[in-house]
Amino acid sequence: MRFLALLLLLAGCAAPTPAPVERPPVPADPPVRPATRETSAVASLMDSARADAAAGRLANAAATLERALRIEPRNPRLWSELARVRLQQGEWAQAEQTALRSNSFAGTDSDLRSDNARIIAAARERRK
Amino acid sequence: MARRSRFFRYFTYALLASFVALVAYSAHLDVRVRDEFEGRRFALPARIYARPLELHAGLRIAPGDVEDELRELGYRANRTEDQTGWFAKSGNELEIAARAFVFWDGAQPARRIRVGFDGGKVASLRGEQGQELSIARLEPLAIGGIYPAGNEDRVLVRLPDVPKHLIQALIAVEDRSFFSHHGFDLRGMARAAWSLVRAGRTQGGSTITQQLVKNFYLTPERTLTRKFNELIMAVLLEVHYGKEEILETYLNEIYLGQDRDRAIHGVGLASQFYFSKDVKDLTVADSALLVALVRGPGLYDPRRNAKRAFERRNLVLQQTLDQGFITPAQYAGARKSPLGVVQTPTMGTSPFPAFVQLVHRQLRRDYDEKDLRSEGLRIFTTLDPRVQGAGERALARRLAQFDKEKRFGQPGLEGAIVVTDPQSGEVQAVVGSRNARYRGYNRALDAARPVGSLLKPVVYLTALAEPGKYTLITPIDDGPFTWKSRGAPDWTPQNYDKKFHGLVPLRTALAQSYNAATARLGTDIGVEKVLANVRRMGVDRDMKPYASTLLGAVEMSPFEVAQMYQTMASGGFRSPLRAIREVTTQDGHPLQRYGLNVEQAFAAEPVYLINAAMQGVVREGTGQALRQFLPPEVAAAGKTGTTDDQRDAWFAGFTGDRLAVVWVGYDDNRAARMSGSTAALPIWGDLMAALAPEPLALNKPDGIEQVWIDPQTNLRGDSGCAGAIELPFVQGSAPAERSPCSTLMGTTVDAVDNTVKKAKSWFERIFGR
Repeated sequence: MRFLALLLLLAGCAAPTPAPVERPPVPADPPVRPATRETSAVASLMDSARADAAAGRLANAAATLERALRIEPRNPRLWSELARVRLQQGEWAQAEQTALRSNSFAGTDSDLRSDNARIIAAARERRK
Repeated sequence: MARRSRFFRYFTYALLASFVALVAYSAHLDVRVRDEFEGRRFALPARIYARPLELHAGLRIAPGDVEDELRELGYRANRTEDQTGWFAKSGNELEIAARAFVFWDGAQPARRIRVGFDGGKVASLRGEQGQELSIARLEPLAIGGIYPAGNEDRVLVRLPDVPKHLIQALIAVEDRSFFSHHGFDLRGMARAAWSLVRAGRTQGGSTITQQLVKNFYLTPERTLTRKFNELIMAVLLEVHYGKEEILETYLNEIYLGQDRDRAIHGVGLASQFYFSKDVKDLTVADSALLVALVRGPGLYDPRRNAKRAFERRNLVLQQTLDQGFITPAQYAGARKSPLGVVQTPTMGTSPFPAFVQLVHRQLRRDYDEKDLRSEGLRIFTTLDPRVQGAGERALARRLAQFDKEKRFGQPGLEGAIVVTDPQSGEVQAVVGSRNARYRGYNRALDAARPVGSLLKPVVYLTALAEPGKYTLITPIDDGPFTWKSRGAPDWTPQNYDKKFHGLVPLRTALAQSYNAATARLGTDIGVEKVLANVRRMGVDRDMKPYASTLLGAVEMSPFEVAQMYQTMASGGFRSPLRAIREVTTQDGHPLQRYGLNVEQAFAAEPVYLINAAMQGVVREGTGQALRQFLPPEVAAAGKTGTTDDQRDAWFAGFTGDRLAVVWVGYDDNRAARMSGSTAALPIWGDLMAALAPEPLALNKPDGIEQVWIDPQTNLRGDSGCAGAIELPFVQGSAPAERSPCSTLMGTTVDAVDNTVKKAKSWFERIFGR
């Protein structure tokens, strides 16, 4: 019996019930929250970007983050890391804009948003 | 006696004088020889590379596509242990013996990669010992070069990389005493003279050094003075440089063939050109063929004169055997083997001339033309060969089909495509003509054509930026409309179906591409304001502030249109379209990086609305025909464009991972009598369908809410209303009132909320300030 219930449940997952007539064919909203864990490819690129940045190889760090962004273009953490590297490179305008880009994908991740806010504030301060 | 001694004195003077003259002349030649030699050694065209394919678990790619890429890279499809540059397939696994490559950010050693596939995805990635790899970057495809004025191309080789048997064959045939002579070979010259006298045959008596010197001259003149000069220069060369340096330069300099307007110099490039191989991988037979070509690349062209080339190659093998450089067994094996020449050289002038042209233009902003042509720079670009190939095929096939159906005569229809990554602005493909190999008029970059309705989204975006006045359901009047302005003729736009549609919701006016409604809306909000937004999207052009401009009287290239749509596709962040990622010196030292730059040009909310409305164009408007190409889940956003008399057909749009612009028309501006949706859309659809697009899930900003709307009344609806649709609104801009069909009419918190808001704003208006 329990098995049957499970089966039904699985069947339900596999084949969603047809949409009710009044449901418009508007595409479903994307998951607003980004996946909390990166794929291993992105995680490893992020690690090596951090190592590069820590060693002062800022251009390499930025290039590596861009490689990661090609895999996950909507990952707000990658954009934020890139903004931070831009800040270290003294690219104030780009640091600010890239942090704004991060915010546009950050959803309710308030930690990330405050990171970005700090980057933006620092960038604006330097630009003066 | 005195006479004799005087004669001797004069004779000595004369001798001295001519010696001094000879020394002076030699010194003059010496400077020239050294200049030429140094210059030759290092004049290298910039090499251009496509993007490297990065494999990682989760990547959506079919095994066949990876194999294609490897084949393009010249990998062999069979296991050859102890070597690199091959792949082997077994079941769902692909084993790759990847070659070493110096990337922008460092050297990557050769390694084994095992890629496991599951469906259309990479499921696993492992190294030689079975350890998991998080990411593996394949070497990038070389897609062309920037050549010096004479269109000479070369791939520089180092002597240690050249197989011994190639050098031996060369020595055996061209200059047996190369390692012992001082630049000239009296015995060789005597032999040549003897054979001329005896058989009336010219046999080159020139040493390798002399042949190299001969190459320093641009003209093939044969005079005695020139011969004399060459002789002195050869000796001078031997004085200044070692045998190995001379041999290496010779191997890189020697002329070995012709590919249309590109001269094939050097054994490195020739190996690519004839065998699609690196020079180090040449067999004994391959090497013999290259040496055979030294005497006459045209005469012994293995592609055109296979028989003559075969005989000459075997003569080279015979002479190499005679000199004891190869064993009889090697000789027997080699003389039987076929020529082994690939029919189409993998690296032509460039297989992608339109893209290379874009790269060249972007490079010229930062580099001297001279440096590009001689410094051997390595240019890493954004070209995705798979996308490029899909674009070329889609354009060529459809245009051939249209030509057949329409029979509008010659020259036939033309077209252009630009494909970019919507988030980063990287250019993945540029197709400048239906004949993509043709290095001529690049329509993707240079054909500025009226854009027609492609400009409409900017009109609507400008309106939607005022959510207090315009939402997706705001009624727009599509009645007859005339624009009057001093200094410009009156203008009354017609609709495509020659009808007027009265009041229509804003989103429908865009979806159906109504001209009268758009012109009215655009003039209401201000033509200048719309045009300012076009510029903010990255289009730098003079546009007349006329209402007709709003309907696309303005001319743009497909590339500019792509820039405009990129800004919308990326949620309002403009990124200049880029074709280059990095530039390094010849030996891999990084020179410059072209990073990803973003700039927020528009607030996220109105851009979200216009993108949702462009999804509507594809779902239920003029882009509906796309459903024959893509499943509805892709939810692509796009816009058709058709100009007066149907001279230009456009489609611009994007999916989750790619943005593409397609233009179709005649170069001479004849009416094509095809609309954006009948001519450009199918090409766009073919292209995207071939690339298995990622669905477009718009990134919803905080300030957007989804509200159910009853389309009958354009008021709030719910499940009680037949055909109710959920639409995005800037928070607070949705209608407050509920439709009569709503089951919850007048009872929701929402409605109460809105009443409160309204009351408050009324209150504020009186007492607030």
